[in-house]
Amino acid sequence: MSKPSDLVQGTLDLLLLKILALEPLHGWAVSQRLKQVSGDILQVSDGSLYPALHKLEQEGWIKAEWKTSELGRRAKFYSLTRLGRRQLEKEAANWERLANAITSVVRLKEA
Amino acid sequence: MRLEHWFYTIPLRLRSLVHRKHVERELDEELQFHLAQRIEQEIAAGKTPEEARYAALRAMQSIEQQKERCRDTRRVAWIEEFFRDLRYAIRHLTKSPGFAAVAILSLALGIGANTAIFSLINAVMLRDLPVKNPGELVLLGDGRASGSSDDFARTELYSFPFYRQFRQKNRVFSSTSAVLSLLFKRMHGEVGNGAALESIDVQLVSGSYFSMLGVKPILGQSFTEADDHPAGGHPIAVISYSWWTRRFARNPSIVGKTVTFRSTVYTIIGVAPPEFFGTSVGESPDLWIPASMDKQISPGWNGFNDKMFEAFYILGRLKPGVTVAQAQANVNIVARQIWRSYAGAVLSKDQQQALAHAHIELTGMARGLSRVRGEFSKPLLILMAMVGLVLLIACANIANLLLARATARQREIAVRMAIGAGRARLVRQMLTESLLLAIIGGALGILFAFWASHALLGMVSSGPETLPINVLPDTRVLVFTVLVSLVTALLFGSAPALRATRIDLTPALKEGRGAVPQASRSRLANALIVLQVALSVVLLVGAGLFLQTLVDLNNLDTGFNKQNVLLFSIDPAGVGYKEDARLTNLYQRIEQKVGAEPGVRAASISFFTFHQGAWDGSVIVEGHTLKPGIANDVFHNVVGSGYFATMGIPLLAGRVFGPHDTANSPKVAVINETMARQFFPGASPIGRRFGLDSKHSADIEVVGVVKDAKYLSLRQKALPAAYYPYTQRPGYYNDFEVRYAGNKRAMIAEVRRAMAEVDRRLPVFYQNTLAQQVDQSISGASLVAQLSTFFGLVAVLLACLGIYGLMSYAVTRRTSEIGIRMALGAERSNVLWIVMRQSLLLAGLGIVIGLPVALGAEQLVSKMLFGVRPADPVSMAGAAMLLLIFALVAGYLPARRASRIDPMVALRCE
Repeated sequence: MSKPSDLVQGTLDLLLLKILALEPLHGWAVSQRLKQVSGDILQVSDGSLYPALHKLEQEGWIKAEWKTSELGRRAKFYSLTRLGRRQLEKEAANWERLANAITSVVRLKEA
Repeated sequence: MRLEHWFYTIPLRLRSLVHRKHVERELDEELQFHLAQRIEQEIAAGKTPEEARYAALRAMQSIEQQKERCRDTRRVAWIEEFFRDLRYAIRHLTKSPGFAAVAILSLALGIGANTAIFSLINAVMLRDLPVKNPGELVLLGDGRASGSSDDFARTELYSFPFYRQFRQKNRVFSSTSAVLSLLFKRMHGEVGNGAALESIDVQLVSGSYFSMLGVKPILGQSFTEADDHPAGGHPIAVISYSWWTRRFARNPSIVGKTVTFRSTVYTIIGVAPPEFFGTSVGESPDLWIPASMDKQISPGWNGFNDKMFEAFYILGRLKPGVTVAQAQANVNIVARQIWRSYAGAVLSKDQQQALAHAHIELTGMARGLSRVRGEFSKPLLILMAMVGLVLLIACANIANLLLARATARQREIAVRMAIGAGRARLVRQMLTESLLLAIIGGALGILFAFWASHALLGMVSSGPETLPINVLPDTRVLVFTVLVSLVTALLFGSAPALRATRIDLTPALKEGRGAVPQASRSRLANALIVLQVALSVVLLVGAGLFLQTLVDLNNLDTGFNKQNVLLFSIDPAGVGYKEDARLTNLYQRIEQKVGAEPGVRAASISFFTFHQGAWDGSVIVEGHTLKPGIANDVFHNVVGSGYFATMGIPLLAGRVFGPHDTANSPKVAVINETMARQFFPGASPIGRRFGLDSKHSADIEVVGVVKDAKYLSLRQKALPAAYYPYTQRPGYYNDFEVRYAGNKRAMIAEVRRAMAEVDRRLPVFYQNTLAQQVDQSISGASLVAQLSTFFGLVAVLLACLGIYGLMSYAVTRRTSEIGIRMALGAERSNVLWIVMRQSLLLAGLGIVIGLPVALGAEQLVSKMLFGVRPADPVSMAGAAMLLLIFALVAGYLPARRASRIDPMVALRCE
């Protein structure tokens, strides 16, 4: 497994919000799901996951709830709040704008 | 958006603070869960448990670091740190209770004094009336005049007929009301069928008064416009909450009970809300009665239907969107129309002139009317400045103490900085300590202010009852105190904190204590002492100034002899006397009966004595051309024949009144010197004649001239005055004064008994002695004088404490140096001088700086306070001397200690 590409600055929030928008997950599951849906390309390191999640929680974008995990252990499940959904829309739109811009630059034909 | 954000985040922050342990446990559990999952995954990938665990931990980097980063997202660290600092500060302060006590007490005194004066300023000058939208209320005129007048086109006082027309014709007010310009104080009435007469304060108002102010009774109802006519037709009353409480113990079935004044029975129809005291700050009527009852309340008055009986204030509530300027324009047009309709078809020359000059200024009524405001605003502002200075001195003192403590803590601070504490963080921690001191001082200060503001109120109140002003601290006062405390903390805390953390680490960590920037520390400390002394000089000189002014006022020639005179008031109208010969006869019998008592030198009925109000108006003198305006105004008084003897006003020419001046004899008057000079220049006024109006232009003959006497206040200049015998002007004259010899208390009882023998039912009230009456007329000046003296002394005391503290500290620090000097042969007196020299130098510098500042401040004050004379060099020198002496004493104690140092002990201690 090659070293995953570094996440573009500021996109971690967007990814976490998007993943949690699909269903409430605990931290471990978030990291696995991200890896899985991105085909192992995107991966958040164990070291930056929790500070990022806690930051989103303190911003009021996601909220946490203790539930029993699929393995029967107590785990902290995060889910999106109304505020978070709005934030997700905003960041997704931003990302699209940025991605399109970069794409169009990259596709410039050389003269 | 913002709100929703807080909806999520505030509970989280609170949770992080309050359930800190729980939150920490959760964080740990969350990370452990992740770790376990990772280990499982690694094992599944074929690693041994050992290896898996190691790999998982490495992936997590450090768990503790993770936790710290998660904690950082909570954004409550500063709060936690604050509480840690606070705990530290408390521990620190309890370790030096002496310092804490001095700091907290001086802060409590300083902040308390500021709060107390501010609550008075707030109550008298700042607070809005407790009515609906007070900002919309305006008053016609400036509200300074009170009483009644019959001048044409008067712009401060209005007749009730004027009000009626004005109410209909103006286009700028949504509602108007009229209120009598004076409160009937101490009316004598019977409550229910009570046998005894009680003293009750009555305010006459128009029917629209309560509804216009938007004041709803908490019980029963209030007046309506229907109560404005017919005259005498509405014997009803609304009572104040405070009277309801005092007199009726808040009896819920009060409505329907009755109060009787002068044989008219008034039915109580409602109770005003607790916060409502009327529209005049410093007065609080016990009950309000419709203005249509004015003849029943005060038989001498005929204000209700007489167009020229001007005794009311008119209040208006501006219509929405109408500016004061627009309102003023309309008010003046309407008023002119009304006045014009009062004059005949052809205006006399005087009337033309009056009309041309009449201009009504609207005054904002949001804060209500107030005579106290005019009287005490400036003294209160001056006192505010003084207590502000005192607090500043206290701040300088505490700053110096903190500075000394910081020096003692220098090694501790250096160590903390060496192991990585940021300077900002340390400053914050030291400021927390200052804040703690200021908060405790402020809290005690509020308690102190609670007591002090009532004491102050007692000092400014004339008469036995304190002014009915609410000085309980409200939100504004509390905000003020909190702000003052915070500013104080910053003032005394920031310099020492900044100075203490600006250290050179290496020498500070080394053994020697003195290697730190000692010089700059003591420069700051010295500057603080100089500042304290300079401020004390300003306060002392100020105090001297106010004391001198008070002494001047006390020594002023009043024109009467204020010693040994008792003032009583009687109320013949209250027991049914009419304004006729029977009344005059009552007065004469009272004067004769009391005058014959042993110990009574003289006794007399009068309209006024001193500082009780006035009756003034123009006079017409044959052969004297009148200047327009108030230049012809004469202050009138109606008196008995014994008045001049009672008051001790010397007769200069002619005679005083006697038994031959009766209702049927030619009308006579005694005038004062100023009137003689002004209206009868050049020749003797005896035998000359004058009149009070054009119909009676020469019916009064001058029979005597007396010396000028003060009438309304001590500060007024000499005014023309005329006295008339009551025998020739039947009317209610309720003042009765007695000149006596002997015991005051016994005399009061004796006078009461003698009066009862004349008419058992006649209500008699002892008011005061004349001397007290005079003192109360200058209560503003004496308030300022007493308090400024007190605060001046407090300031000096604080400054001396500062000098003492600084010198003691210096002596302790210089013990070894002094020891060396003595070992080398320095005399004790030399050592004494070294220490004394410094304190004298500091005090001297402070005085040199303070005196010019004091001079400047004095200019400012004498502009503000009329009659304050500039301080003479003697009082300036006095203040300087006093401070020097105190500084000497404060410096001597540590100096003596220094001179007694045993060189051997001193040298060994290093």
